[in-house]
Amino acid sequence: MRQTHKGQPVAEWCASPNAMRLNKLLRMSRRDVLLGGIGLSVASTTGAVLAADTAPATPNNEDLSGFMQVSQRLTDRDTLNPQIGAALYANIVHANADRKDKLNALHALLEREKFTTASAFAHAAEKSDPKLKDVIHEILTGWYRGIADGKVVVYRSALMFDITKDAVYPKTYATGGPFYWTSKPPEVARPKGHPALSASALVIEPT
Amino acid sequence: MPSEENLSADVVIVGSGVAGSSIANELARAGISVIVLEAGPRVDRQHFVENFRNLENKPSYQGPFPAVPWARHPPDQQTPNDYLHTTGPNAEAYQQVYLRMMGGTTWHWAGCAWRYLPSDFELKTRYGQGRDWALTYDDLEPFYYQAEVMMGVCGPDPAVEDLGSPRKQPYPMDALPISYAAQQFRKLIQEKTPWRVVHEPQARNTRPYDSRPTCEGHNNCMPICPIGAMYNGSYSVYHAEAAGAKFIPNAVVYKIERDSANKRVTAVQYFDPDKGSHRVTGKYFVIAAHCIETAKLLLLSADEQSPDGVANSSGHVGRNMMDHTGVQVTFISGDQALWPGRGPLETNVIDNFRDGNWRTDRGAYLVHMVDDNQVDLATQLAISKGYVGRELEEQIRYLASHTVRLFSHNEALPDPNNRLTLSKDHKDILGIPHPEVYYKLPEYTVRSCEHTRYVFRDLIKLMHGTDEQWTPGYFPQDHPAGSTIMGTDPKDSVVDGHCRTHDHDNLFIASSSVFSTVGTGNITLTVAALALRVADTLKKELAHA
Repeated sequence: MRQTHKGQPVAEWCASPNAMRLNKLLRMSRRDVLLGGIGLSVASTTGAVLAADTAPATPNNEDLSGFMQVSQRLTDRDTLNPQIGAALYANIVHANADRKDKLNALHALLEREKFTTASAFAHAAEKSDPKLKDVIHEILTGWYRGIADGKVVVYRSALMFDITKDAVYPKTYATGGPFYWTSKPPEVARPKGHPALSASALVIEPT
Repeated sequence: MPSEENLSADVVIVGSGVAGSSIANELARAGISVIVLEAGPRVDRQHFVENFRNLENKPSYQGPFPAVPWARHPPDQQTPNDYLHTTGPNAEAYQQVYLRMMGGTTWHWAGCAWRYLPSDFELKTRYGQGRDWALTYDDLEPFYYQAEVMMGVCGPDPAVEDLGSPRKQPYPMDALPISYAAQQFRKLIQEKTPWRVVHEPQARNTRPYDSRPTCEGHNNCMPICPIGAMYNGSYSVYHAEAAGAKFIPNAVVYKIERDSANKRVTAVQYFDPDKGSHRVTGKYFVIAAHCIETAKLLLLSADEQSPDGVANSSGHVGRNMMDHTGVQVTFISGDQALWPGRGPLETNVIDNFRDGNWRTDRGAYLVHMVDDNQVDLATQLAISKGYVGRELEEQIRYLASHTVRLFSHNEALPDPNNRLTLSKDHKDILGIPHPEVYYKLPEYTVRSCEHTRYVFRDLIKLMHGTDEQWTPGYFPQDHPAGSTIMGTDPKDSVVDGHCRTHDHDNLFIASSSVFSTVGTGNITLTVAALALRVADTLKKELAHA
């Protein structure tokens, strides 16, 4: 099909929503996007295209550093990928106007109390301001599921796949060889830890 | 495409899914000229794979397949829905999804390639329920095999594991080795229950077949096999094109023309995306446009000669809507780690409830233990429970390795009151009405679902399960059938045993819409077998023409 539809270029109306977004993105100054949005370049290395109708603003170094410190504490991890962090931060802040303040509040609390575990930090944060729970959920959803602002920021590099890589593959990325699935996967002991935050309703999206 | 172009073929097919494309392939290989009109666009696999990877709601089967405005399909199973409008006491149970694109809805099936049981074709005679088909299992057996060879179906040796549908030939490929999780489930069922777990026959390669690779276990059969190890209709499109069939995408058929006697179809008319109208003439016509769109098109073609729609002298076009209604539960097993999600999605089935004398009273069903990667769900659940840091990671591993999901396909019955009509309130950009379906679950199906819940509760107990999450109510399994029902009597059916419409000599229907009952196995192999039988009939008639 070569014709256009309602003035749209063929590539747009024949393409997927993601390709349409990408087309828009590429029509912005390509140089600006690549140089200015670290998060955008991350996406291409992970096979995910950052699906932004308007690209989130680039964080300044101080904000990003605070976000990374908060993230490391909430994941109990010493190292996290800074490029993914920049993309997550930009999207979390883009999604909600008050998130910058909430993230700053989390960072200030962490600086003040020097928590040594994620649980202690999260518990204290919710106690100081119940609304901080939502931000903590967003941070964890970002790192573990790779999702922020309702978009896939990373897929294969989401931490949920890192911690299960001895057993399963991210869908569409299996590399176990023929009939790998017949072998015995690792046993997993029943966890003894407790929740740090109050429980929330889990809303499952429709299929 | 210029509208003055003379489009004509021996056989004109509407719809490029497994039914339409496999007929096109058979006919083109026999030297018969074929035009296939597909309402939706042509898109390659890699686009769908990238769409999937970028999809936030990964379990959305429709998500990677955005519809075009001139060939809408349901965006999801939500009620209300902005394309397929369902009403009635069980509206949510008929919120089917399907695709309008080159290759059809098998882009996102799981490859489950069941033959129906002989009893499924004789439900009325054997159990006094529903209807009999106007053909028998034996009539269809050779075409079942032809369909299995076309798709590349793997399955068990009947001498070792008899699935109840007699075979004259072995499966084209050996059965798929089941996952560790399925092995443990099978052991449990064998040791602790009177039931059994069988290998599910699948249109999935256990060796290289038809220039496609062996399954690598990406666990993404639905919504999209990333490597083409699973058959879908697009492969029959490629074969048919190579044999000379002409496929026209973005061609939305809206009118079926007949001769002055109203006995023969003379042409179909289609809109292109800008509503330019085109006419395609032929000797034979096959509507293979999915159960819902096929009935919609017949109704849409109503005119003075056929005020209730084409092929509808019986008034049964759009009636008798059926599906495999589902019961589903997800829970956390208290036993060893299973790690579902290693290998293909659906590989094993409890088949004890597919047939029995109790079918006089309640519908049959089959049970899938779904082998779906649960890491994302486990992560959402663990976060919602309030875990963070190290404890969160422990929870994710535990939940992902212990989550079990069971679901069923429960048999419906043909009820003329369950009916598809053209929406009076909703039209697409071409002015074509959306489909609307009234649905009330037959009591026969409700009783079947109740039985399934008892069985699921037993299974949960056996696995020391906790945290059960029952999918509320009844949910659609996207196996719609019955809208142009088959029968011997033209007064109460739309097509005969060869899928020829009673009203029009040269008009055939190739779709689950002709099913007289819906059985329990996934419908696609039966759709393909019926389509290949239509191709066989057409080849014979054109040879004698």
